[in-house]
Formats: sequence, C-alpha cells, structure tokens
Amino acid sequence: MKISEISGRATAVLVFAVMAVMLVLTVCGKKEDFSVAEDRELADFPEISISALMDGSYGRQLAGYMTDHFYGREKLISARTRIEYAMCEKIVNGIYISDDMLLDAEISSRRIAPENADSVNDFLSSYSGTVYFAAVPTSSGVYGDMLPDYLLTNPEKKQIDFLYNGLNDSIRKIDTYNILRMLNDNYIYYRNDSKLTSYGAYYVYRTIIQKLGFQPLSYDKYTIKHVTSDFRGNLYSRCLYNSTKSDILDIYSYSGGAEITSCTVRTNNGITYRNTLNDESFLSGDMYRMYLGNEVPFMRIKTSVNNNKKLLLIKDSYADCFVQFLIQHYSEIAVISPESMTKPLSSFINPDNYEQTLFLFGIDSMDNGNLFDLLNG
Amino acid sequence: MTYSSLLFIYGFLPLSLLVYRIAPASLKHLSLFVLSCVFCTLNSLRFMYFMLVYTVVNYFAGLFIGKFRKRKSLSAIPLSLGVSFDLLIFFMFRTDCLDVLREKSGIPEEFFPLGISFATLTAVGYLIDIFRKRMKPEFNFIKFALYMMFFPKLFIIVRYKTFYRMLGNKKVTLADIGDGFRIFVRGLAKKVIAGDTMYMLYMAVRSIDIWKMSAVNGWIGMTAYLLCVYFVLSGIADMGMGIGYCFGFRLPQSFNYPVFRTKIRDFALNWHVQIIYWFRRYFSKPLYEAGKNRLYKNIVFITAWCLAGLWYRFDPNGFMWGFLIGLTVVLEKYLRRFRFLKVTGIIYTYVITIICMVFLSGEDITQSVNYLLVMLGGNSIFADSVTLYLLKYYIIMLLICMYFSTSLFRNLLMRPQKNCLKNIISAISPVITVILLVICTILISYTGSSETFILKL
Repeated sequence: MKISEISGRATAVLVFAVMAVMLVLTVCGKKEDFSVAEDRELADFPEISISALMDGSYGRQLAGYMTDHFYGREKLISARTRIEYAMCEKIVNGIYISDDMLLDAEISSRRIAPENADSVNDFLSSYSGTVYFAAVPTSSGVYGDMLPDYLLTNPEKKQIDFLYNGLNDSIRKIDTYNILRMLNDNYIYYRNDSKLTSYGAYYVYRTIIQKLGFQPLSYDKYTIKHVTSDFRGNLYSRCLYNSTKSDILDIYSYSGGAEITSCTVRTNNGITYRNTLNDESFLSGDMYRMYLGNEVPFMRIKTSVNNNKKLLLIKDSYADCFVQFLIQHYSEIAVISPESMTKPLSSFINPDNYEQTLFLFGIDSMDNGNLFDLLNG
Repeated sequence: MTYSSLLFIYGFLPLSLLVYRIAPASLKHLSLFVLSCVFCTLNSLRFMYFMLVYTVVNYFAGLFIGKFRKRKSLSAIPLSLGVSFDLLIFFMFRTDCLDVLREKSGIPEEFFPLGISFATLTAVGYLIDIFRKRMKPEFNFIKFALYMMFFPKLFIIVRYKTFYRMLGNKKVTLADIGDGFRIFVRGLAKKVIAGDTMYMLYMAVRSIDIWKMSAVNGWIGMTAYLLCVYFVLSGIADMGMGIGYCFGFRLPQSFNYPVFRTKIRDFALNWHVQIIYWFRRYFSKPLYEAGKNRLYKNIVFITAWCLAGLWYRFDPNGFMWGFLIGLTVVLEKYLRRFRFLKVTGIIYTYVITIICMVFLSGEDITQSVNYLLVMLGGNSIFADSVTLYLLKYYIIMLLICMYFSTSLFRNLLMRPQKNCLKNIISAISPVITVILLVICTILISYTGSSETFILKL
C-alpha cells in the first residue's frame, strides 16, 4: 500500500474521530443557561416552526445553540484570542489588547444619536428644576493614545462635544473628559472593563458635586473596602483574554457621615426594599452588579441627611459606583435607568419634586437613539 | 449555515456522511438529494423551495429542448424561455432593477439564494448544451436535482456530462474520504486563517480616510484585498470540492494559483477556472466562429471578460475589472516580444492585478480612481505611522499568505529529487490536517462561523 493511501485513510479516521467526538461531547455535555465569563444568556434549543424554518431563523438559532454550547467554548475563545494576538494585530473581536489593559477598539464606528439630545431638551422644557448632563468617556476615550492611529478617526472627545452641542444652553454640561485625562496615570478605569473604577468615579464626583452646589468630601475621609480583586468586566467578556491583571472592586464609605435609611427598588413587576446600596452576593456571578444590584428601572434612596435636598439621577451602569458618593449630600435620590424602563417616567415619579436632575451616562450608551423614549411619556 | 460553521463541520457533515454510508446503493442518490434539501432548509425553507422551483423549471426546459431537438426553431422556444427565466432570477437577486417584480412575487428583501450566480451559469450551460446537441436531457429528476442542488456543488460549476460520470461512482473508499477531508480542511484554513486575516488588514486600511492615506498603505490594502478575495473564493470552492470527494464526487479545482504569476495571461487562465471557462465555452467560442479577424477576436475576448466582471459585480466597477483584465491580456500578447517584460513579469503582473482589484473593491468608479491616485502618491505621503504599525503586525501573515497563494510549495513537492520530502509531508498530512482543523475551529469558536463573503455571488 502506498504512503498516500495510508495517509488518506489515517486522515479520514482522525478527522472523522475529531468531528464525531466533538459532536457527542457537545450534544451530551451539560447545558448552562448563562455564561458568567461572557456575561450573557446562552441560546436555548430552538423550537421548530414553519415560520422559523421559512425565514431561516431556525437554522440561525440552531447554529447559535451549537456555538453557545460547543464543548469547551470558553477555552476555545480564550485560545482564539491568543492565536489572533500572536498571528496579527492586537485586536480581537473589537478589543485592543495592550500590555496593561483591554480597550474597545471600535469607538470610531460609534455614531452619537441626535435624538438623545432632543429628548433631554424635551425633558427640560416640561421640568421646573435644573438639569445637569455628564457624559463620561469610556476607557478607550481616556487611554485612546494606546490605540493605533487609524482607529481614532472619531475620538470620544469629538463624540461628547457633538452630544453637548445638541443640548439646550440651559442644560449645564459637565466636562468629565479633561479631568479623567489628567488623571490617567492612576487606576481610574478598570483594566478589563470600559467603565470607571470607584477611584475614577470619586474624581468625577468631585467635579460634578461642585457644579451641583456642594463641597466634595476629601478622599481621606473615606474608608475603602476592597471587595474583590478578581473582577473581569465587559471587555474581558468579549475576548476572554486573562493575561491582563484582574480588577479590584472597591466600596467607599464615610463612617462619620450620613447613612441610608431606606432603599426602595421598583422593578417592572413590583417593589422590593433594601437597607444597603451594595449587594455582595453578586460577587459569585456578575460582580459589577454588586454596586446597585440588578439593573432596575427605578430606585429611591433615602438618607439621614437633613437638608431636604432631592436629586433625580438618570443614569446607566457608569453611575453604579458613583451613587455611593452622593448619599452624603442628598436626603433623597431617585435613580432612574432608562435602559430597563418599560413604562414612562411619570409612572415612577413626578420629576418636579426634584429640584435637580443629573444625567450621568457613558458616551457609549449614546448611540442608542431610543434610550430616552420613555422619559417624556 | 455555511461550510465554515461549527454546525456544519461538527453536525451536518459527519451526520450526512453516516447517512450516506448506511444508505443502500439504490438509495444513494436519493439520500444525497434529501441531505441537500436539509442543507438548503437549514439556510431557510424559502431557499429550499426556491431551489426546487428553479430546478423544476430548468428540468422541464431541458426536457422540452430535448423533445424538439430535431427542429431547431421549435427547440429555441423552451431554450429562450428557460434562459430568460434563469437570467431574470439572476438580475432579480443580483441587481435592484427588478425590485418591483421581487416585491410583487412576495419575496422578502433580505432573502438571497446562496450561490445563485453559480446556479444561473450551471442552468444556462445545461440548456445550451442540450440545444446544441452536445448531450441529451436528463430524465431522472433526482439526478438533475443533484446537479443543481447538491450541497458541495453550490459554488462549483461543472458540465452535466462530467457530473453524470461522477453520479455513477457510488463506491467511496476510506482514502477518498481522507482526501476529501484534507481538501476541505485546506479550504477551511484558506478561508478562516488566510482570508479572514487579510480581510482584517484590508478593513484596517479601508478605515483610513482616503485623503490622509499614504501610498504604501494603499498598496498594502489592495494586496490584502487581492489575497482576501483569492483565499475566500478558493477556500469556499475547496471546501465544496473536499466535501464532494467524501461522497465520491471528484469535483474540479476552481483556482490554480492565479496570483503572483509572470504573465497576466496566466492570471486570466487560472483565476476561477470554471467561470472563465464557462464564458469561453458559451460566449466567446460561438462568436469566434463568426469571424476570423484578429481585431474582432480581441473584441470578443475583452467582452467575455467584461461579462465575467459583471458576473462578479453587476455594476460599472465589475465591468471595469473584467475590461482591464481582458485588455491587458490582449495588449500583453503584442508586448510580450519585448524582453523586459520577461524580467519584470511578476512585478508588472502584480501591478496590473492590483489596479484591476482597485475596481473590484471600490464603492464606485470615482472612489476607485481616487484610490488609484492615492496609490500613485496623490496625497504626497509615501508612508506614515500606520504603515509601520500595519507592517509590524501583519508582515508575517502577509508573506505567508503570499507564499501559499503561489504554486511554490506544490512545485517543491512535485520535483522528482524531492520524493523524500513528498513522502514525509504525505506521512504527516493526517496530523497537519487535524491541527489545521483544530486551529480553524478555535478561530470560529466565538461567532460559530466565518462569514466573510467579500462578494455576494
């Protein structure tokens, strides 16, 4: 028998064995509903229907199910990142891998939706108090110098300026970009997530709270608790590259200061009550949720501060570690998350009961033009 | 579902091989037909229905042409009806000019039948061959349906006579399957490792503002595009060819190392061989018979290339791509006598191929011309920091892709004095194949498939 004949047979047996073994392991393997590492729900086995077959969605769902539950998926994704990293650019799945941190490499393709500025202007027109807007850059905005030049055709500073230019002159725009740029030698952004660390949030708080009319508390008054040093965030979830150092989650507390007296959480289904802002039970899963718990449309925080000052905070996840700094200044803070809202704002609160409204968003949320649709309902 | 998806590689392919293996000899063709229907249905049931209707129409057109073959004028009616139907479908899905008809027939905008451009050429070629009495029509619907719908053949064109001979081969040896897997994995690696990487490089260059782009970046981007198109198209064709081998169908190779040749003619002869052969057989040859004038023949030749260009992209850019290749092949015939072309062969072929690719890749003619100007130093920037960055991270992959896009490695194994090397490569090829399969699996693990289709064919 010729070598080529033997080689052909061996190839057939080996390749078929690899295919069959992976198929059996995938079919028989344990099926999880949620991937903690990727921080997302995994696909369910699709239900067959004529309409799903007709438009091809069944095939796509089946392929998605196979992909999500493929044997050793997380290890394969991690290996993919390393192979691509070694093979060509340091960009894998839209994540730029530098020596120290991961960065979103797709910031320039983001388009800020002008509808968001229009919605905030509409909100202002029917509101009696003062509106403040703070757009926070992502880590790629502050550490953009690390990215190759061709990825910086639309830098975040330009995106923030575009958003601010669309806002009414009566809205007080707060510049967080320059302060964060000045501090970029410090641990102000997570290495594995696009958001601010608590330390970064503290400096954003210092800037914002002065605009809101208060004196910020000095850094040394806080007691800092390192809750975990194993946090890996949204950038890690997209590439599962674990050679960068994991991150630390901190809780800042002021022992001699005001305390939370009640915390009412309204979900779309009902109301729950809590005594604290933070929920450390999340440390075994989606760690960042530790700050305010699950994303909910509305949360009312009452504190022991006796100044009768009330703040309406309309925010996204960038503000989660920021709220802890506000409780020393307001007797009541209403926290609204437009991303989770399914009912209009008026079904939760009357904004006019709050003399100040602060919009605090990561600039990466501003590409969704429907974000504030329920604000003016 | 594409060939380069986890669902196909680790689900559909091994299961369909098992089904085919256990099917009795009399049901082999039927089993392949059912498997092809399942493959189409996993893309969408609409696609399966579409392919069935398309097949039925061409099947009956073929039968009627055959029935009236003794009276040419009569058989021209089903031929023209069949060809018109095929072209109508082609224009409906490849252009916007029949959108009204598409809307009226209730076909959603997002529906695109995979490989429709290949199916059109396959069907038209089949009908013309019957009309010109080169063969009889196929009466067995399953056999004809396999010719149109057989899932490994969706991106490969073969004449029906050749395919018919393949249909007779129902015995598949283990070595055939091994060869098939080897070719399939080679195609997968071409697509996933080389094609996708070159696509990333091309997209990196494309994201630069054209008026700030340096000349070298322009050349790097277009080289990446050339390699990307080559590796993606030949990768898909190789995957289909490999799967065909697993079922005993020795489908032909589509690309024969066309890039980095020493003559434009060699590029033209070896680029997507079956497509170019189709235009020669069904367009140029009949017209060549009409006149012997050299100028006339050259015009026919260039027109055939223009049509091939329009087959890739039905717009002025596709036309320009084909026109430039056709024109340069003709010019080369006259200029070849100058010896300097023999010395600088690779360079001038490369330059002309790249210029042609600028048109194939451009959004429109203006953008392509602008890009060409940039490549010629129109921005007065020779190279910049982005050039250094791209070269730093991509140079190795670029050189590897360039090497494997040529026939150097194959020729090395072909030399008689390298028999020992050939035996070693042959002996370790099972391991190399498995390693490549694992690497490709890793690379597609995140999205589950590699769907870089740079041209919608």
